[in-house]
Amino acid sequence: MEYAVETFDLTKIFENKEKGVKRYIKAVDHVNIKVKTGEFFGLLGPNGAGKTTLIKILCTIILPTEGSAKVNGYDIIKEPHKVRSSFGWFHGETGGRSLYWRLNAEDNLRFYAYLQNVPRDIAEKRIDALLEFFELTEDRKKLVKDYSTGMKVKVMLARSLLHNPPILFMDEPTIGLDTISAVETRRLLRALNIELGKTIIFTSHNMFEVEQLCERVAIMKDGKIIVDAPPSALRDMLRDIHAVEVEIREANNLQEVIKSLGGLPIVKQIMEVKNDPYNVVIRLQVEDEYDAIPFIASKLRAMNAKVLAVRRSEPTLEDIFVKLTRKETA
Amino acid sequence: MKVEDLVALFKEDMPRISSNIVHVWAVFWANFKIFLSYRTWVITETISTVASIAMYSFMGLQVDARRITLAGYGEVGWLSFALVGVATANYLWMCISRLSHSLQHEIREGTLEQIIASLIDMKSYIIGQSLRGFMVSGYFMLGVMIIGIAVLNVPLVINLNTVFSFIVIILLMVLSYAGISIMASGLVLVYKKGDPLTFLFASITEFLGGVLFPLKYLEAYPALWAMAWLMPYTYALDASRKILLNGATLFSSEVLKNAAILIVYAIVFIPMGLKVFRWGVNRIRYEGTVATY
Repeated sequence: MEYAVETFDLTKIFENKEKGVKRYIKAVDHVNIKVKTGEFFGLLGPNGAGKTTLIKILCTIILPTEGSAKVNGYDIIKEPHKVRSSFGWFHGETGGRSLYWRLNAEDNLRFYAYLQNVPRDIAEKRIDALLEFFELTEDRKKLVKDYSTGMKVKVMLARSLLHNPPILFMDEPTIGLDTISAVETRRLLRALNIELGKTIIFTSHNMFEVEQLCERVAIMKDGKIIVDAPPSALRDMLRDIHAVEVEIREANNLQEVIKSLGGLPIVKQIMEVKNDPYNVVIRLQVEDEYDAIPFIASKLRAMNAKVLAVRRSEPTLEDIFVKLTRKETA
Repeated sequence: MKVEDLVALFKEDMPRISSNIVHVWAVFWANFKIFLSYRTWVITETISTVASIAMYSFMGLQVDARRITLAGYGEVGWLSFALVGVATANYLWMCISRLSHSLQHEIREGTLEQIIASLIDMKSYIIGQSLRGFMVSGYFMLGVMIIGIAVLNVPLVINLNTVFSFIVIILLMVLSYAGISIMASGLVLVYKKGDPLTFLFASITEFLGGVLFPLKYLEAYPALWAMAWLMPYTYALDASRKILLNGATLFSSEVLKNAAILIVYAIVFIPMGLKVFRWGVNRIRYEGTVATY
């Protein structure tokens, strides 16, 4: 089979009723993607872009409003049962929910193994191996409610792999994992892709991960696919982005500071404002960081802002999303 | 375990064999284990059951036993009469509310998404959850009966025939309400708010089914009397009392007639319940509210 996943004008409109007024939200808007069998495919986009909804539609959890899709050659509406036997799904956003917290790790895995028709002896072997791989062997009898978020994420990862499906939907699989576990998880996914030919649909906010793993990426924005390219194209886009990060002590005139920074000719755009309890971090897209840093510092000093740092910042995927959005608007 | 070893393990694949029995067992087993992890709840619920029996035994001192005899249940005290009523009503309530309670929990915790994305058929899920409900409710019913017989000397007719007949009637009672329970669960999936339907049924059942008083008293109120005999519980309770208080068996004509009525209710309501449940599942899949975390 040439394509593991194909969508045809796939659309999902959610209806929301607030104070008696109906609102319609187009979460997925006429999406057409084709993921080749054995491909490592990245699905990126800012929060709320529609990635998770798209994945849930492909996993038959959400029904589309329009259009159709095939997973492993099976129609998601007409053959949901066959679709369900074809994929493993990991949803990192749940932060460890979606497990039975009052069961231990091995009971959780056993339960899902039986629901996925894995023969008992094979299930036991795989549970042992996966728990060992994710370093949960010692804690396998502990109730999941007593696990840290990272440990819960590991159980969820193990669950998505347990039945050895040909397609893996990995929605932010390294979220909540420590660095070493994240590295090992990436290695495992890569090996499953190369050695066993599994098709992997992968979402992440980490540019490094995407570059390291994906052969092709699609960027979603407002439910639409706005870019479909190899990750190297994203790296090229990042090359044009220059960012500066300003850290100031909690400021009473914060809005005024942001406004005046945004008005500087050297600043292209305010990308992000992070408000911590004691300081504020503002990320700015600039023409040239080396020219911008002293200019911004002196402007802040003139405004009596308590400056902690003005530094160059590595461009991120979010910056690409902002850039692409701006381009779309223009 | 290294990445290479894990990949090697996944290289040996076996065909997956679909089995509804394994699915039912998995749901039952997981939920039963979860139940056992709520030790405090089990203890407090047991204490509250014992306390309610004690309360009924004192209430029984106020009731004239002749009224029970006049109602057609022989010369037994009010406590025996009420004990069968309370035990069966609690059993039924716990069984029929079980499914909707679990579904609410599964939606909140996001586990329902995983269940829908798996290979289990929803019927197997319902049966697995219900089996767990039968088991847990059975524990409390048995407790009520044992305390009644051993501590309060309630004279129930206990022999192989009556126990078998009583178990069959209880099963039929649950089946006759299964449709309503499944229907209520379908509505809970969509509306996400408690389970008003099962609560309503439980309250009406307790009143009109004659849990604590002989139904003969309702004869004076034709509308209530008619409603009482529209409920399957009334037939189940009548049969249970005839078995445990008078020693009738499943093959006694009065019990057999009630059993037949319960079967009719089950045949009519279960397909309706499944239809509503299927509608509920598809509705939340369409709305995108399979999980609310």
